Amino acid sequence: MEKAAGRQGSVRKQSTGLGANFRKYWPYYLMAFPGVVYLIIFKFVPMLGCVIAFQDYQVYKGIFHSDWVGMKNFANMFAYSDFSRILTNTLMMGALRILFCFPVPVILALMMNELGSAKLKKTIQTAVYIPYFLSWIIVSELIFDFLGVSGLFNRGRALFGMRPLLVMQQSRYFRTVYVLSTIWKEAGWGTVVYMAAIAGIDQSLYEAASIDGATRLQKMRFITFPLILPTALTLLLLQIGSFMELGFEHVYSLLTPMTYSTGDIFDTYVYRVGILQAQYSITTAVGLFQSVIGLVMVVFFNQLSKKVSEDGGLW
Amino acid sequence: MNKRTAGDRVFGVIVTLILILCAVIALVPLISVLALSFSSKVAVNTNAVTLWPVGFTFDSWAAITGRPDMWRATLVTVITTLVGTTLALAITSLLAYPLSKKEFGLQKMIMVMVVITMIFKAPTVPYFLTLRSIGLYNSVWAMVLPHILTAYNMIVMRTFFLSFPREVEESATIDGCGPFRTLLQIVLPSSKAVIAVIGLFYAVTIWNQYQHPLYFIQDTSLYPLQMKVRQFVNESSELQTIAAKKAVNYTERSLKAVVVVFAILPIMMVYPKLQKYFEKGAMLGSVKG
Repeated sequence: MEKAAGRQGSVRKQSTGLGANFRKYWPYYLMAFPGVVYLIIFKFVPMLGCVIAFQDYQVYKGIFHSDWVGMKNFANMFAYSDFSRILTNTLMMGALRILFCFPVPVILALMMNELGSAKLKKTIQTAVYIPYFLSWIIVSELIFDFLGVSGLFNRGRALFGMRPLLVMQQSRYFRTVYVLSTIWKEAGWGTVVYMAAIAGIDQSLYEAASIDGATRLQKMRFITFPLILPTALTLLLLQIGSFMELGFEHVYSLLTPMTYSTGDIFDTYVYRVGILQAQYSITTAVGLFQSVIGLVMVVFFNQLSKKVSEDGGLW
Repeated sequence: MNKRTAGDRVFGVIVTLILILCAVIALVPLISVLALSFSSKVAVNTNAVTLWPVGFTFDSWAAITGRPDMWRATLVTVITTLVGTTLALAITSLLAYPLSKKEFGLQKMIMVMVVITMIFKAPTVPYFLTLRSIGLYNSVWAMVLPHILTAYNMIVMRTFFLSFPREVEESATIDGCGPFRTLLQIVLPSSKAVIAVIGLFYAVTIWNQYQHPLYFIQDTSLYPLQMKVRQFVNESSELQTIAAKKAVNYTERSLKAVVVVFAILPIMMVYPKLQKYFEKGAMLGSVKG
């Protein structure tokens, strides 16, 4: 291709500029067109729509005729008692998620690697992957049933003579349920990346260790674990970067008015107050606050992960 | 292997037991709900059902599958998934292909746009207002269009196209193939694996989606399956009323169980066959351009 272009270039004048590029490669422009239009409408126009955070937005007046109010929405937002609640909940759940959910796939993958039988390994993998493919609505219904009065959880308690405990209706258990449900649904699937990293480890390392008399636990501890650590670190940094993304569907499907005090996060609050109650401007301010923090976190931790490993980072 | 110590054997047994326990934990809620869906009213009400149906009956299933609205919701889900996945693959590969060509003058600019969409998420409310203003409110398209181009999937596909042997494309160009024919007849047919994987992920996203129908669909006749599950499970008065009749052999709980199994059955049926594609997909994600 380049040679052909070079030959052409020697005959005609070397074409430069976007116009010439378009004339020569117009099919590429045509191909990219729908995707670019899509990105503009679905991603960039809503970004511009953030200006209503600085307006007293009225639907009938529209974005161009609503009154500008400066930072008033932000000032109101910080004064809200709701705001500190949803900020605390979001931060707490994000932190708990990284602390408790992140290590599980690493441990699972290390253990799966120790299984002798390939058949058993395959069966266990199939089983632990399944929850990942269920929707949060389904998972939340399974949880509500499991923890209900006649669910397996309370029947198990009854076997030990304990009284039924209504977990889903008590705010103090919400975050625990959130963390455990994340693990149940996602930990199994999370092992895939680590299993791939483990599969790439040079087998001669294990053979050498065996000759030196290493036990299986020592091989796991001193060979497998250090070699998957870079993968784990990269994923950890990316996850910290997006720690405000707790999953609207996940939290919303578990949330009841009884658990708002500990479980209501930015996403669920914005949906209830912004979309259902149509308080557009103030909730856009809340959303913008969240997006900007998210942006800073993602960029910072992405750069950091590029530093720790050369193919780390999302971009 | 012959040097395995007793400690190693104990270690192996403990690891195996823990993992079997994990597999059981992953499956028990599903088996339990399956058992409930086939159990009789008496058995469910007396808490006799654990992991196996008690008083086996199809009555709950008959009550749910006899409802036209369940089938309508299934139809909505199936159609949006099929149309959405097709559109998604088309628009994603059409964008990924030129972005894999350095001759394309806008390559850098569009890549920057794509990365921006990955790192800055527009807040929910302006997003909702934008989509409503282009007519997605109470439209089935609200369940299709938001999912047809994911930056992440596009980048995975682009990475794959970047590794496509240039000589093959060049010889196609020499034979007179334009970029469109090269993409359609040369590149895509040899990228079946990556297309299948990305298509599967799009399909699962659309099938399982709940946020967009919740935001945009008020008309219950346009509800997809997930919304139907939500409707039955949360505002369960409807199921309570059905189950309250004396003569029936089901309860609210067994009906809910049927609804849940009904909604996950299609995924459970295709999942084991496609597992290796999904795994491949998760690993593709770790390679980037």
